Amino acid sequence: MNRRQICAAAFAIFYGLYGATPASAYSFNEIVPDVRQPASISGGSSCPVRSHHLTTPGSISVRWSTALNASPSTIITQEQTAPGRLNEIEQVITQSLAVWTGVTGTTLTSFGVLSRTTVAAACGSDGINSICLDQPDGAFTPGVLAFTRVITADRIGAQVGNGPPASEVGQILDADIYFNPSDWRTTFATPAALAASPTSYDLSSLLSHELGHFLGFSHSAVWSAMMYPFAPPAGAFSGLRPTLQQPDAPLGEDDRTGLRVLYPSAADVAHTGAIFGKVTPANPISLPLSPPGVTGVFGAHVVAVDANTGAVVAGTLGGWSCSNAGPAQFDGSYKIERLSTGHSYTVYAEPLNGTVVPAQVYNALGTLCRNATTDAGWPPLQACVVPEAATSFTTRIRPAP
Amino acid sequence: MMNFVQRRRFLWKVFLVGLGLIAVVANATTFARVSFRELAQQSTAVGRFRCLSTESKWYNGEIWTETRFEVMETSKGSLPELVSVRTMGGAAAGLRSRVEGVPEFRPGEQVYLFLYGTAGGTYQVMGWQQGTFRIRRDAGIERVTQDSAATLIFDPQTRQFRGRGVRNIPIAIFQMKLKKALERETN
Repeated sequence: MNRRQICAAAFAIFYGLYGATPASAYSFNEIVPDVRQPASISGGSSCPVRSHHLTTPGSISVRWSTALNASPSTIITQEQTAPGRLNEIEQVITQSLAVWTGVTGTTLTSFGVLSRTTVAAACGSDGINSICLDQPDGAFTPGVLAFTRVITADRIGAQVGNGPPASEVGQILDADIYFNPSDWRTTFATPAALAASPTSYDLSSLLSHELGHFLGFSHSAVWSAMMYPFAPPAGAFSGLRPTLQQPDAPLGEDDRTGLRVLYPSAADVAHTGAIFGKVTPANPISLPLSPPGVTGVFGAHVVAVDANTGAVVAGTLGGWSCSNAGPAQFDGSYKIERLSTGHSYTVYAEPLNGTVVPAQVYNALGTLCRNATTDAGWPPLQACVVPEAATSFTTRIRPAP
Repeated sequence: MMNFVQRRRFLWKVFLVGLGLIAVVANATTFARVSFRELAQQSTAVGRFRCLSTESKWYNGEIWTETRFEVMETSKGSLPELVSVRTMGGAAAGLRSRVEGVPEFRPGEQVYLFLYGTAGGTYQVMGWQQGTFRIRRDAGIERVTQDSAATLIFDPQTRQFRGRGVRNIPIAIFQMKLKKALERETN
């Protein structure tokens, strides 16, 4: 038994109450600005920044490729005429976009125009956000059916293709969604066609999940969340179907809170609550020896539950904080933001050792540091090394001082 | 108060409901499950590697990361002393390109990889997380965990979701499993 296992029990300091519902939280694609560049274009701080789109009206345009695989046909629609098929698919894309813009209290109120292209190979690093349903790609190997590739700027002025240069660090400059057209065993059906094609995946659910990555999300371990890393099985769909009254119905509350954190609106006065604290070990001997300077539990999922309803409201991946010039400090800190005020919450922490493990949130945990090994010439004072996520601990609660 | 039989029935119901919930899920960056045997059969080469360095560059209109590995053991295929593995994403000229589910490697770490590609050329990792098996030393014993071990993955053949995977097993057992899978292929 190693030292970490001997001292597996960890104490958590919470500014809330204790609960024990097994679930966890949203996370984001984090990026460390390139501080080797002048502060005028890097911001001067090596604190991680969340990947995000600019949300000025019409700034997030999306196009989709109308090239569809015919042999085999991997997209199943109810309509059988060529224009009817395209309209049905476009309706799914429009609804999936509206799932995310339907969340209240964010600056993500609309996407730009959804356009069509007949180019089959529309996805690529060109500064244009695209959805491709029939584009073979060199990244596909047996076993990979769909993915989203997101390109983010780590300095102001960075540019992809002919797209506009980044005006902010962390700005997403190109996000493309690829569906594998060459696996004949797997098909994707629109909601209208799903009932008659129960062996197909629900295109709407998969697209809504991939659009979460498109917007800057990593994964969540909340089972009811759209960003849970597993899609529903063939013939089923995630959450509820969207309606005109509730276009964001497929999302979980965790997704909504995450979106409010990622795209906060100054006009939102209903979700201004925050819970913060630290997850620290009962005995410091359980902390990793390498890298040096780790003073808290890293990689814990810290979750807020509505004390009245028992519903998981939100959570976060805890374990670090960052201020001023950086770099990230691994002191066990966590912060859950954008909670509804006037509610009571219970809070708990759990290790990532269930159906979701650290490898599945790598973009939220493994990307918090840069150093001379990862980037030649990185300034030592702004360098750090990400410790391994602690996956073996139990928690006790210590009231806030 | 429930008697013993009622309590046992209740626990069984809870267990079955739990199983039902587990069966509702599969992975998304969407993966189709590739069994250990299929990984062994469909891969071009299998081996134990030590990560030496990573380098990102533009290739064919995308940012890719080429990771150089020292080959420590070859279980399948013909591998030179050093191999390059290409994965989508990386950093280049002020840009960070990322894809969920793509394995990333740190210099110094050791892994078993199931590689896909042309012998002598640049390889990819078969099934991304599914073909990545990380080696960790725990209390003096080397143990192996598949990146996708906790992932419930859709199996297109049975049309079901399974959570199989290699998770924290001693390396000797992993090597036996690998040998067996490769023997089946040659038979």
